[in-house]
Amino acid sequence: MSDRSSDVEVVARVVGGDGEAFGIIIQRYEPGLLRFATRMLGSSDAAADAVAESLVRAYRHLAQCRNPARLRSWLYRITGNRCHSHLARRRTGEVPLEDVPPIADPADTWEVLERGEQVALVERALAALSPEKREAFVLKHVEGMSYEEMAAATGSRIPTLKMRVHRAREALLAALEERV
Amino acid sequence: MRPALGLALVLAASHASAVSAQSVRARLEDRVPAAALPAIDSLVTQAGSEGLPTEPLLQKALEGGVKGIAADRLVNGVRRGLTQLRDARAILVRAAPARAVTPGDVAAVSAALARGLSPALVERLLGAAPPPPPEPAGPVLHAAADLVARGFPPDSAADLLLTAQREGLRGVRLLDVAAAASHELQRGCAPGEALVRVREMLPNVPEVPPPRPRAVTRRPGPRS
Amino acid sequence: MTSIDRRLQEALDGERDPATLPAELREAYARLVGAAQLLSHTPPASVAERVMAEVRRLPAPASAALAFEDGVARRVARWFAQPRAVTLRLRPAWTLAIAAALAAVVFLPLAESVAPGAEEGVAQFVGHFPGARSVEVVGSFNDWRRGALPLSDEHHDGIWHGAVVLPAGQHEYMFVVDGERWVADPLAGRYVDDGFGRENALLIVRPAVGP
Repeated sequence: MSDRSSDVEVVARVVGGDGEAFGIIIQRYEPGLLRFATRMLGSSDAAADAVAESLVRAYRHLAQCRNPARLRSWLYRITGNRCHSHLARRRTGEVPLEDVPPIADPADTWEVLERGEQVALVERALAALSPEKREAFVLKHVEGMSYEEMAAATGSRIPTLKMRVHRAREALLAALEERV
Repeated sequence: MRPALGLALVLAASHASAVSAQSVRARLEDRVPAAALPAIDSLVTQAGSEGLPTEPLLQKALEGGVKGIAADRLVNGVRRGLTQLRDARAILVRAAPARAVTPGDVAAVSAALARGLSPALVERLLGAAPPPPPEPAGPVLHAAADLVARGFPPDSAADLLLTAQREGLRGVRLLDVAAAASHELQRGCAPGEALVRVREMLPNVPEVPPPRPRAVTRRPGPRS
Repeated sequence: MTSIDRRLQEALDGERDPATLPAELREAYARLVGAAQLLSHTPPASVAERVMAEVRRLPAPASAALAFEDGVARRVARWFAQPRAVTLRLRPAWTLAIAAALAAVVFLPLAESVAPGAEEGVAQFVGHFPGARSVEVVGSFNDWRRGALPLSDEHHDGIWHGAVVLPAGQHEYMFVVDGERWVADPLAGRYVDDGFGRENALLIVRPAVGP
């Protein structure tokens, strides 16, 4: 079966005993899950661990994915839960930032910052959010999910998610506007 | 067969009569910001004078206090609670003018609205109540809210529950209807199909047994 | 933190054309969209090989009929089989399976502990909080008092549990983890806005059936 198969078809194939077909699911969703987990945990190493654990868990419970047509939301839900567990173990919910360039001169405006410095600023602002707001912002604006998809991926209600996204935007904008 | 059990949504020590300022302060002192006490006092007194239950407002104040909510937001939360109680009573009166308005029903309607049911849906469910004796409002409203939270269309959810009532199901059995529909979703049915399957089961939807563990603590009284 | 203009929120939610925003809001819009784009860089590393190595060692995924395996799910099933009251907070996709298990919980003999009276029922609370030092339940049934209903984790496996007799009816509550983190019970299945920007879990206690 080519990898133009739908998620429903691939899941059916894996559950039917073709474990190698799970590679198609990894190929499709790993980049997004790694990106999401990196933003949640602030570390590419921690993100790799979290996503690997999540994908193995997803494989083991694939038969319980209630609606394979919503596989993406289900995978993000597992990965999000794993990230929250990692963060809970850190107790503070703080995100360590690795390999981040030093903060630029506070007198510089946003526009004159080097791209790396801009990334650092945004990453710091994101890391300062609560895990719930961080997750909501990343799913909405980095992973491009609709609120309905986010509700399926997080188990939270849409009004709650909107509130979290709105608050995250306020916090990020405030952090970015301090540069001006 | 277990008799149909009414779910008694009784608030602890709920009463519609006026609550004295002294008793309000005694309950809330040291538990809410002092700056909030006069305003909360006033709101609780207002509720009592309108014949609304005051316990939900006291509970909201205590909740805000323990959650560390600032005085002004806490007062706003209690004020919103009073508005919700008024709205709840208005809906009850519109839906069933001949029905006595109980504190439990006001609390149930208020919770149903807070869970996202529309006033129109609540009115529809209460207005089509089964023959006397009047049933507490809680079970049918929470069952509807359960179904809506699982993604069932509100009107279809109401249709199913009203059908269940016509088939003789009452009280917690309506929660069993909602649980049965959720179970069908978990088994992979689409929402429409799940509702059809449950309708076909009526009135014999599976009962959800309450938990019966060995080690149980009796909770201390709320005002110990 | 200043609240940002509703029009900007609408534009960012795709409910308004950003071109209709006034100049100062368009700038803020561009800044937030730009920030999101900066975060969209995909890490180069892949975990595919590592995951597939593990997948090849495992049997095919079990059938959908509530197949429990080692791990938290099996421990939950053991909790229900043993004479103690437990509800489990599980964040992964097992939540649906566990919710079904909750619905199918067996009747256990009510022995030496407190029996519910008329118009009372038993409420079970369970949470999965690995690494937590304490977990308690605070809610409308204990006047929102701290310290009234601690949960216990006697196996030190991160599964905290407890059970109480409560009046039949509706109750709102939250878990408090380590004395400071307020969490709405993810397994509650019912939630209600608390009016303070969060959600409480909502519990409906059914009258207990007689022995």
